[in-house]
Amino acid sequence: MTTATATNLKQVPLLRRYLNLTSAILVVAAAAMIVVSIQNPSLLVNTLATGGMWALMAGGLALVFGVMNIPSFVHGDLFMVGTLVALFVFTPIQSMIQDAPNDFVLKWLGPFAGMILAFILGAVIGVLMELLLFRQLRRRSREQWVMNTFLLTAGLSIMFENVAMMAFGNLPQGISRYWDVPPIDVLGVPVAMDRLVTFIVAMGTLAVFALFLQRSRTGRAMRAVSMDETGAQMAGIGLTRIYQLTLALSCGLAALAGAVLIWLTPFTPTVGASPLLIAWYVVILAGLGNVQGAVVGAFLVAMVQQLTGYYLALNWVDVLPTGIIILVLLFKPSGLFGSEVKGVWEQ
Amino acid sequence: MLKLKGVESGYDLLQVLWDVELEVDEGEFVAILGPNGAGKTTTLRTIAGYVRALKGSIEFNGKSIVGLEPHRVSRLGIGYVSESSNLFAGMSIHENLLVGAYTVKNKQLIASQVDLVFELFPRLHERRNQLAGTLSGGERKMLAIARGLMPSPSLLLVDEPSLGLAPIPTLAAFEALKQLSQRGTTILLVEQNVNTTLHLVDRAYVLEQGKVVLEGTGPQLLSNKDVQEAYLGI
Ligand SMILES: Nc1ncnc2c1ncn2[C@@H]1O[C@H](COP(=O)(O)OP(=O)(O)OP(=O)(O)O)[C@@H](O)[C@H]1O
Ligand SMILES: [Mg+2]
Repeated sequence: MTTATATNLKQVPLLRRYLNLTSAILVVAAAAMIVVSIQNPSLLVNTLATGGMWALMAGGLALVFGVMNIPSFVHGDLFMVGTLVALFVFTPIQSMIQDAPNDFVLKWLGPFAGMILAFILGAVIGVLMELLLFRQLRRRSREQWVMNTFLLTAGLSIMFENVAMMAFGNLPQGISRYWDVPPIDVLGVPVAMDRLVTFIVAMGTLAVFALFLQRSRTGRAMRAVSMDETGAQMAGIGLTRIYQLTLALSCGLAALAGAVLIWLTPFTPTVGASPLLIAWYVVILAGLGNVQGAVVGAFLVAMVQQLTGYYLALNWVDVLPTGIIILVLLFKPSGLFGSEVKGVWEQ
Repeated sequence: MLKLKGVESGYDLLQVLWDVELEVDEGEFVAILGPNGAGKTTTLRTIAGYVRALKGSIEFNGKSIVGLEPHRVSRLGIGYVSESSNLFAGMSIHENLLVGAYTVKNKQLIASQVDLVFELFPRLHERRNQLAGTLSGGERKMLAIARGLMPSPSLLLVDEPSLGLAPIPTLAAFEALKQLSQRGTTILLVEQNVNTTLHLVDRAYVLEQGKVVLEGTGPQLLSNKDVQEAYLGI
């Protein structure tokens, strides 16, 4: 029997096994990126920096959907909370830096304080949301769960935005940059320090996130819950704790993205609306609940946005990704990386 | 070790178990037999905490476990292998086993436990990197039992390991359970294969319409008139 399956596999022509829609799109995207980056390296830099942040947003969104079946529409407001934390933590640090321009530790590491605090506050909000809302709802009824949690998060989002508006007003408040230093030379291209750090933070966080899901005992438990809750309980995994961790992680990542990106998107009560939409584009494009796919999809969407903004016009940046998603869903309704196997980190 | 007294349980609109009395001693191999819909699965699910007992007591090692959440019951040392296996389809065999050992903190212990279940099921060892979702029915059952064994439970509840299996894999599954029992694991088995089961186990209960109607040792039940007529077709 073993040999039969082995030969059967070999008989499928290599070309046909790898020639599918997903790989075709990935190859086209990679090719486009190479051509563009030769012509205009700053487009590549922007794609990687913003793509990394969309990956943090979309990854968290996919995680919450994969593990808890919650289509979150409050995710963008955690991004907004992140920009707020960054604003309030960095403003005093900024004046401290101005007072002591020779304190290099403060100058280089100070900006990270806001990012770390944003992650922590985001995680705390996530835990509270689980405790006060989703757990209560689950205890009462699991019927119509997806619809109910959609309404719950949408309502919560309106609350977040109005409270923010009451407390901080409608006007944009931001910082022009975290690091007041000349651009850094990366392979002959001058890159602003903030952009570089955005990229590095994104990559570092994504790597830790991936490693956590793939290798750690708790990450594995999270994936187990996403695939079979009963099976996970049989293994002694408590669902409540996993749910709490899932929301903490995903909300923390969204707030981190907001804090890191404040130099690009200053705080307004609705600053999270656009990142939320983009994260949803990405998650739908990649296949609902698939974190791995969401990370790749985020870079694809960021690339399409950059190309549209540069070659077409800025107000087209949301049109093209949506168009592409419609096309992908027409031909592959389960999304680019979707499959029958449900799980947050499986292809 | 496990003692059910006057247990009544069921689902929202339907009570399934009526006054079930059942006992399993340390080291014993006990079976629950009965027709479809008798409430065998419901009995195991009630013990494991997935269905809440409405009445009666369930004691494990002298302590009540009624109302405990399923993962708490599992952590007490009660392993449960369900009818549908509940495997993690997107994980490899090896990873399924690792999740099974979630409550085991000692890495060496996990490794030796993996070796042990691979010894019990060599077929799983051959395919250790294959995704659980692509396994055959028999392989799935083996993996479900193997995963249940990872935390070395002192009591293992097994629901119909023969369900959907051809005669030869069925024998393999029974053989594995026999070996486990000989190694000292206490087992409560639910089965439809009455003849084979009665030759295998120490004692058995017959459940009909949610009530225990008969109990006895394997040979006793094999020679019982009612059992012969209803289940053995003699
Ligand atoms: N989730 C549920 N909700 C409502 N009724 C249920 C549920 N699960 C089982 N039942 C009912 O409870 C009764 C007993 O079911 P149970 O699964 O315990 O039977 P069983 O003895 O395991 O049968 P089988 O041999 O077919 O597996 C059946 O009438 C069944 O329809
Ligand atoms: Mg059953």
